[in-house]
Amino acid sequence: MKPTKSFSTLPESFNRIGAVWFAVAGLYALASIHSPAMFQYGQVLNLLQVAAFLGIIAIGQTFVLLVGGIDLSQAGVVTLVNILSTSIMVGKAENIVEAVILCLFVSLFVGFINGLLITIFRVTPLITTLSMNSLVYGSALVYTGGMPHGKIAPAFEFLGQGHFLGIPVTGIVWLTLAISIGYASLHTIYGRWIYAVGANPQAARLMGIPVNSVLISAYMMSSLFACLGALVLTSYIGLPSLGIGDQFLLTSIAAVVVGGTALTGGVGSVFGTIGGTLFITILSSYTRLINQPIGIQFMLQGLIIALSVLMYRLVQKNRLG
Amino acid sequence: MEKKIKVMFRKSIMSSSLVIVSMFALLAFGNAYAKGIRTAAITGAGKEVSVPAKKGPFRIGFSNGFSGNSWRAMALDALRNAAKNNPDVSELIVVDGQGDVTKQVGDIENLMAQNVDAIMVIPNSGTAVAPVLRKAMRAGIVTVPFNLPVEGGQYHAFIGTDPSKKGYATGKRLAVELPDNAKILAFDGIPGNSYTAAGWKGAQQAFKESGKNIEILAFEPCNWQEDKAKVIMADMIAAHPKIDGVWSDGGQCAAGAMKALIAANRPLIPVTGDDYNGILKLYDKYHAQHSNFSISLISEPTWQSVVAMEIAVSLLKGESMKAQQIIQPKLITSENYKELMRPELPDGVFTDTNLSDEALRKLF
Repeated sequence: MKPTKSFSTLPESFNRIGAVWFAVAGLYALASIHSPAMFQYGQVLNLLQVAAFLGIIAIGQTFVLLVGGIDLSQAGVVTLVNILSTSIMVGKAENIVEAVILCLFVSLFVGFINGLLITIFRVTPLITTLSMNSLVYGSALVYTGGMPHGKIAPAFEFLGQGHFLGIPVTGIVWLTLAISIGYASLHTIYGRWIYAVGANPQAARLMGIPVNSVLISAYMMSSLFACLGALVLTSYIGLPSLGIGDQFLLTSIAAVVVGGTALTGGVGSVFGTIGGTLFITILSSYTRLINQPIGIQFMLQGLIIALSVLMYRLVQKNRLG
Repeated sequence: MEKKIKVMFRKSIMSSSLVIVSMFALLAFGNAYAKGIRTAAITGAGKEVSVPAKKGPFRIGFSNGFSGNSWRAMALDALRNAAKNNPDVSELIVVDGQGDVTKQVGDIENLMAQNVDAIMVIPNSGTAVAPVLRKAMRAGIVTVPFNLPVEGGQYHAFIGTDPSKKGYATGKRLAVELPDNAKILAFDGIPGNSYTAAGWKGAQQAFKESGKNIEILAFEPCNWQEDKAKVIMADMIAAHPKIDGVWSDGGQCAAGAMKALIAANRPLIPVTGDDYNGILKLYDKYHAQHSNFSISLISEPTWQSVVAMEIAVSLLKGESMKAQQIIQPKLITSENYKELMRPELPDGVFTDTNLSDEALRKLF
């Protein structure tokens, strides 16, 4: 039997994880030289606070990309969770638990159905999750009739707006989740299964790994983290908004891919996604501060993402000899 | 007793003078469409239009570009209510373009195939629907685009606000509130939309005329969403020790920006926007503690859908009117904001509406 790809690619993935941090440092240095405001302590804290939304959502997307899939329904889940949580809380602290539990349940259910369609009914992940995105977003529209109402409870504000020892709580939540999940994915059996399934599902099946369950669980993780990210974002803004999830449709994938996770599966890590998230957040903040028309900003963003991925692919090739 | 009579007398004088003023206003506006006037004047402009009178009641189609926000939902609800209560309207057929330019053209073709008497449209693209509206016009259907403009003028009547005039008015007022050498942040809606572009042009014109040196730190799209505006403003706050004002055409952008200032413990500043309840409530809550906080808002009335239907019906009955019916909403500032604020209703309500609080509560 051929050795599975997952084991042979582990050193390579470490290599890629390293590369994203060079890209983050390079971009940050460039941005700080061009716009010194980027270097201020206040801006560092601000970046940490707003990066957390994308960061938490992208943890889930990492799992899906690692198993060789893609999740385009995260955007819909973010919107639905924002709408549901605010409409259930209606500003009252006693409703927080109910709102959070319901959102978690709905999100896990969405992930479960995604996984089921992909594994049992063999629908491609792209089509499954894109349709699911429409379905979930559509249900948010139907639920609200286009007019979302409600707001968060003041007690819930701490999660998205609070500070602990001067550091934004959102950043603390994000980094704690990302580091612990990142560590667990590299050091637990479940984590190894994820990599093995992504690298070669047939080989993984022959090794006795419950491939379908692993795939379904990856989509559930993706929805779960979309839900957690949405709750933090909802706490940050306090209100329902039907367009709130749209921004994550592709940025969550960009953050993971820039972080060194391969779209083909089996290669990458949550640690890389932390770097990828910082990269995307610094980039959008930087292009915003240099006061250029939005068209130029989009062009710059596209160019810098493409260049950075290209550059560290080249670095990695040289290193591997 | 004497005092009471005096008050009554004063009131009756006031109300009769109001009637006289309104009559003069109607005379002054000449050909303006008058029936639908709610909280704003509507002035007529452009060529005179009329069609051969038809016998009612009429079947009216409405092609809505999309329906995913509270403004559209309120406009639609007001329209449905009005259609139900209008004896001249036998049926209202609503089709939804789901934000898709091509789908909307197909929607309008479908309405034509159903032989409606009039078609009302909020276009997704003012250029894309122009040919199909011209086709409908030639087929003898009364065409009334509203809210967002249609290129080329090949329709019977348009009703809406003039975004460049609105932008000019809010910009002019903002310039008064700003110190000299002011630094401001401006918000776009959805990137590249022509509505905000026109408003922003008007505002910049007003800044120039004010004679003050006003520096624009950025013109950033926030998609008329509070969360995006808050994130953008947080970036700006970190980068700029001094921000003196915010220009936007949406109250959500203004509210999001103010929330970022509150989060950063910075004083609130002059802002512009529209009749979004969230910004009215925010102003009400914070203006006492923030002496520099001011609002210059101009509404985009949701009742224009009802006026559009009334215009369609009048044209079908053979009445003539000017092809451009421009709504001129008044400026909302600290002096009159309470008239529009709905403290008991959610932030998402656009308050320049003919819907009652009860109807709104049912909707939201």
